[in-house]
Amino acid sequence: MMADGVVLPHMMQAQFQNGTPAVLGAPEVIEDVTMPEDEPLNISISISNVVCTFSTKCHLNLKKIAMEGSNVEYHRQHGMLNMRIRRPYTTASVWSSGKITCTGALTEEDAKIAARRFARKIQKLGYKVKFSNFRIVNVLGTCALPFCLNITNFSREHKEASYEPELHPGVTYRIKDPKATLKIFSTGSITVTAPRVANIQSAIEFIFPLVERFNAGPRAESTVSVNPEKLKNKNRRIANRVHKPELEVEDYESDSDFEDSEDFDSDESQD
Amino acid sequence: MASTSKSRGLLISCPEHPETPLVEDYHAGDMICPECGRVVGDRVVDVGTEWRTFSNEKNNKDPSRVGAAENPLLEGGDLSTMIAIDPTSAQQLDEFGKPMYRNRRTVNSADRALINAFREIRQMADRLNLPEMVSERGNTLFKQVNDTKSLKGRSNDAVCSACMYIACRQEGVPRTFKEICAVSKVSKKEIGRVFKLILKALETNVDLITTGDFMARFCSNLALSQKIQKAATYIATKAVDLYLVPGRSPVSVAAAAIYMASQASEDKKTQKEIGDIAGVAEVTIRQAYKLMYPKAHQLFPEDFKFHTPIEQLPTQ
Repeated sequence: MMADGVVLPHMMQAQFQNGTPAVLGAPEVIEDVTMPEDEPLNISISISNVVCTFSTKCHLNLKKIAMEGSNVEYHRQHGMLNMRIRRPYTTASVWSSGKITCTGALTEEDAKIAARRFARKIQKLGYKVKFSNFRIVNVLGTCALPFCLNITNFSREHKEASYEPELHPGVTYRIKDPKATLKIFSTGSITVTAPRVANIQSAIEFIFPLVERFNAGPRAESTVSVNPEKLKNKNRRIANRVHKPELEVEDYESDSDFEDSEDFDSDESQD
Repeated sequence: MASTSKSRGLLISCPEHPETPLVEDYHAGDMICPECGRVVGDRVVDVGTEWRTFSNEKNNKDPSRVGAAENPLLEGGDLSTMIAIDPTSAQQLDEFGKPMYRNRRTVNSADRALINAFREIRQMADRLNLPEMVSERGNTLFKQVNDTKSLKGRSNDAVCSACMYIACRQEGVPRTFKEICAVSKVSKKEIGRVFKLILKALETNVDLITTGDFMARFCSNLALSQKIQKAATYIATKAVDLYLVPGRSPVSVAAAAIYMASQASEDKKTQKEIGDIAGVAEVTIRQAYKLMYPKAHQLFPEDFKFHTPIEQLPTQ
């Protein structure tokens, strides 16, 4: 997990269909977007989080697990347990009904592996665990355009997008097909939340022509890429999150200018 | 109160002009043919007022009215009968000495929630010194939201506050979320959530807020003169046009513009004072000001009289 200058540490594995078979640990997955002028523009999309749920199909005694298990936190007020594993670095929220939400994984396969590891952990504590109903709820991807955006004009033109500067500094744009929610910021960063990784790429491809019309100049070098340290810290900063059984989690994207986190939760099901 | 009515041609019509619609004259109680002036029907009941009141004093009892004015748009017609309790005469007592017919106002239960909500909205508008129009619009919005039932689970207070916010926006006098928070029991987060839900449920849009919307209010709360207010408005719009403050909330930009304008004039306000009035944090004003300060020369209007020249403006 080392940060390597501009290169973002955790990148997608070969999921994009643009022909670049990225090797494990390869720096960037490139998406070729053709600009109206000649040369194609390379924009890299990185996946920061994959959220999945599954069920153990048996009732779990959280208090016992809290006392016997390792790396668990029991939140009695909310009736749930937080369990963490080191590899892949993920956190699971466990409810006594047997439903488990696993967050923090970086690829879809990693999410499945992590979910299985959690199920195995619980199995070792003596429960008859059946790994069932595994589904990926949400994938969060970020992308940094090389230019800044004039989001006020963008939101004026696109009435289906929601821009409330008092509530959140970004424009929230929801698209139905492929199903995704994009948050577009004036710095040119875009975060996409979608039920599948493939949707993320199509969402970016969809939004790019709409957004490049509101190009407001090249972005300043200092804000060029998503700060890898900040990304890591966001993934780590899970102990402060509060899970409610309805899968409403505090948003990952918190901007210093705005003290409220937005109602849009990246962990909420985007299905 | 004459009005043309549908010709009940089948029942009565002028014998010479059977096709012409008859004109009703309520005060005389006649139905008259407009062509020849023949009175066709007479002794029609007069539905006008029984007597006219000329008194200046606002009696509670207006003898022209049979009951309180209906609120037709907003509630189901309240045509229920109420048994009034006459306080002066002896009450009809039943066995235990309790008055009979105690219940005089069983409001329709569906309307009760509406009435409460309207009262809440009215109170919020009073606290914010907003005119009745905004209240009315808020009421209409609440009624519409209630009808869709999509926000059924949300607390009424939150829905009222959000309706208030939208009403202010739609009337062209936007209030910041923090201002609405100040007169409501709900948190800004919840109001924001409900606000978005309402927009989706009613499928409406609201215009973006601009810096100019808040200038008048903030400046007068700070007791700044008109000149400073105009200068601040100009500064804020110029700053946004020159794209000096991308991604900053218009409220923050407005606060920073007020700071800049007041610092350049005799009446200097501190960032803390402006922050208190605008509901913006001091650091936020400082950040926005830092972005605007380098281009201060371009931001001020031409005819601005500098008490403190630009060079001596604070750098943060």
